[in-house]
Amino acid sequence: MLKRLVERDIYDLLGRIADSYRLRVPGLLDDGTRTLLPWDGQQISLFGEPPQRKPTAYFFPQTDPLLKIDPRGQATPAAVAEKPFALFGLDSIDLAALAFTDRFFSNPPPDDHYLRRRNGALLIGLTGYAGPSRGFLPLVKGNCDLELIACGEYWLARAGCKSADHWLAHYPPGDQEQLAVLQRESAQWNHRAAVDVQQAMELLRQDMVPDSFWEEIASRCILCSGCNLACPTCTCFCVQDRQTATGTVRSRVWDSCQLDAFMREASGHNPLGTEALRTRRRIYHKLVADPERWGEPGCVLCGRCDRACPTGIGMFAVAKEIASRFAISSPD
Amino acid sequence: MTATLTTCPYCGTGCNFYLLRDEDGRLTGVEPAGNHPTSRGQLCIKGWNAHAFVEHPDRLTIPQIRTKGNLQPVDWQTALDLIHEKLSGIAEKHGPDSLMFLSSAKVSNEENYLLMKLARAGYGTNNIDHCARLCHSSTVTGLVETLGSGAMTNSLSCFDETELIFVIGSNTTEQHPLIGSRILQAVWRGAKLIVADSRKIRLARHADLHLRHMNGTDVALLNGLMRQILLEGLENRSFIASRTENFAALEKSLAPFHPEYVAKVTGLLPEQIISAARMYAKAEKAMIVYAMGITQHSHGVDNVRAVSNLALLTGNLGRPGTGVNPLRGQNNVQGACDMGALPDVYSGYQRVSDPAARLKFSAAWQTRLPEKPGLLSTHAIEAAAAGKIRGMLILGENPMLSDANQNLVRQALEKLEFLAVIDIFPTETAQLADVVLPAACYAERDGTFTSTERRVQRGRKAVAPPGEAQADWQILCALLQRCGVKADYAEPGEIMAEISGLTPSYAGISYARLDGNGLQWPCPDAQHPGTPILHREQCARGKGRFSPVAYRPPKELPDASYPLLLNTGRTGIHWHTGSMTRRSHLLDREERSAFVEINPEDAEKLQVRTRQQVKISSRRGAIQAAAKVTERVPPGQIFIPFHFAEGAANALTNNALDPESGIPEFKVCAVRIDPC
Repeated sequence: MLKRLVERDIYDLLGRIADSYRLRVPGLLDDGTRTLLPWDGQQISLFGEPPQRKPTAYFFPQTDPLLKIDPRGQATPAAVAEKPFALFGLDSIDLAALAFTDRFFSNPPPDDHYLRRRNGALLIGLTGYAGPSRGFLPLVKGNCDLELIACGEYWLARAGCKSADHWLAHYPPGDQEQLAVLQRESAQWNHRAAVDVQQAMELLRQDMVPDSFWEEIASRCILCSGCNLACPTCTCFCVQDRQTATGTVRSRVWDSCQLDAFMREASGHNPLGTEALRTRRRIYHKLVADPERWGEPGCVLCGRCDRACPTGIGMFAVAKEIASRFAISSPD
Repeated sequence: MTATLTTCPYCGTGCNFYLLRDEDGRLTGVEPAGNHPTSRGQLCIKGWNAHAFVEHPDRLTIPQIRTKGNLQPVDWQTALDLIHEKLSGIAEKHGPDSLMFLSSAKVSNEENYLLMKLARAGYGTNNIDHCARLCHSSTVTGLVETLGSGAMTNSLSCFDETELIFVIGSNTTEQHPLIGSRILQAVWRGAKLIVADSRKIRLARHADLHLRHMNGTDVALLNGLMRQILLEGLENRSFIASRTENFAALEKSLAPFHPEYVAKVTGLLPEQIISAARMYAKAEKAMIVYAMGITQHSHGVDNVRAVSNLALLTGNLGRPGTGVNPLRGQNNVQGACDMGALPDVYSGYQRVSDPAARLKFSAAWQTRLPEKPGLLSTHAIEAAAAGKIRGMLILGENPMLSDANQNLVRQALEKLEFLAVIDIFPTETAQLADVVLPAACYAERDGTFTSTERRVQRGRKAVAPPGEAQADWQILCALLQRCGVKADYAEPGEIMAEISGLTPSYAGISYARLDGNGLQWPCPDAQHPGTPILHREQCARGKGRFSPVAYRPPKELPDASYPLLLNTGRTGIHWHTGSMTRRSHLLDREERSAFVEINPEDAEKLQVRTRQQVKISSRRGAIQAAAKVTERVPPGQIFIPFHFAEGAANALTNNALDPESGIPEFKVCAVRIDPC
């Protein structure tokens, strides 16, 4: 089912979704960055840079109360809002990140707390000519419930699953030929960092990157932890207990493998006791361990760690350096 | 969810981020402002965790009064009435100058302004000061004398175009991480980097030259560089001739500082001094960056003079990519100084001793004002210990951990007839108070903050304060009204309107103009775009003044009984006395308790291993901390951060004060280490 929507149809569609979901739509913040915010019925930012805050934060927030333990030891799980989220404005990269974390948290034993928010949520992709300056964003292959494809003056719309068909039922049909054109464009679309990251993956797998490289990269790190906190596939958290007059509140808090205490043992010994080891782990985990575990890298190429890193050692930058320094040049 | 743009509460870099709040009104996290000129989508680890302490259960939520030895909850009216009754009673009986007011570099410009108004117009004393006394008072004194303005001369964007950065006494990647990263980016772009620091700080790994001079020998080092520059004819003659005065005196004063002598004093090699001099002087555009390593000495003002002399000698002033760049520590320590939370000046550094300034403020505030400059905070502690200061109001400061010589501070605060503390947490200082008032923290009130590059920016309220806590400006208005001083501001923007009317450098600043990226003062009128670089055509005082200085060693050096030199400071993880960061889970977990850095050579002599508890003693006190054996410190020196109440570095430090700025010698005293 392919439909054709004009701008007012989008507002109509989102209005209906907002009745039963906590709808988040792209909006411009005070400094001009885009993020997904509650919809107040006003103008929506329909194209631009991807939202800065990672989309996984809606289901796995930076600080998230899990349960409260009263003085008698009775534990009550933290309440989760009745209405599920509907996130509008996700590109193929952010949808891939959500699919990655969905799989991680659903893997047995499932993470009930994540799934209580995630189950029933509606993911709405926004692709086509919806990028910065109306640039092209490749179409998604599944990973969402609805996809709106910007075509200039109008949008093509399709459901990612049968259960979402009804949202689009009353719109006129879309042009299949146009969809085919956009699909061909998507197939030819190349991410600027994909080649470097792919090459870095190969070189790491072949053990072609010496320890001295990681010492050099680590020496540039100023330990801000931003790479982890900005990464939409980073799922590590630590547990915070806070005693109040009425009991203990247990929360989980985003963690960072770049911190010394991440792996520090009670004795004080740390199996990842140097910055070089921790930096290596950050890259290696995404590019080698994740493909072994999940069949695909933990880097979805969103570029958030590169933006968050004050010293230029995000994933793209490191992959580029690995690729340029350790690739064996072809015989010719 | 809401996203509220605000200014980071930690260091003076001036990063902006969004505080994220969920539907229940809880803070869920922080997102750096992507397009802000300083943060650029980035933060340090403290910034990324700046939401974490806000809802901590230890927050003060209700006013308290000490009754039968214990702090007991009371209503606001009773608490405020008691403060006013006690302070005015002491002022009446012993004179207004028996009171002391300590303001805070953590509260807004508006709140600093109101507290200095309260001290001066409300209680009739100039005894008001704040923690700049402990960090950059040497800068304010030194640079006002040589350049006419005590602030960072250039802007952070200058790092993007400079040829050389000379960092002396600043652990920039840990204390101003987003400035440190900018320095590193400059190095990778091709700029040269000289680091002068006895510790192997992170920046030193990337330096072209790392000078590990002995703590307290900065004057010798800087004079040595200048002598060498003159010897080789690398000074900027035309700049000296057209823009400076007193050169002959400087030249004469440098004569003894030949490289061999300087090497002997500093512990460096003569060649290092020669090459540093050449490298700095040959750069077309060079920036000097400094912080506590320069200022926190019994000769801190002399250190600042020497830094300023070096920049003037080479003409590195008033142009992009140059300058004398003191990095201010707290997010509003620049603003607290600008607002006149200092004993000798009103806002905009207008002197209380100047009859015209006094008349202007008297007319605006409709009251008579005292003309005698007040006490420095460090002198006030001594005066309190001697029974001369009897009543004190402390706003958002924790001298029990932050001031030198903790025993003296405790003795002083305990001796007071009356102590009132306004804070967000029950700090070690609040524990000694007669009245404790609960304040809103940065996330819970509006106001403006002035960063190290003189950028005035908005802080915005994202959540409601806990319990009955109130914004400091509201508390101060209630006290001003009790003093009979008009203070009926509906919101902080109205206070800023009063400030800009009385403060020439802030005259063009209003809330309406601060949206976006803020404004850098001086901003003299409503159309003025702000001033990224000071001293462009001429210095604020006219000619830049060379101020010759002689080398004086620190007051207390290691000897047979106390053979090690103690250096103190902060780490990259924690903030000052830990009241906020030790209540932020990720930060607390990273560094849980007091530690002491010891060089492997000393550790071997002392038979000390990493993580072993040791006793560290000075002539003033003793503490315990876990040993951290590391080559970061040179042999003979140990380093202890002052964040930890249970191993308080300032129980050991020496309250030897600079004679002009009154800053204590936090960076040098003599200690010994014994096994526990």
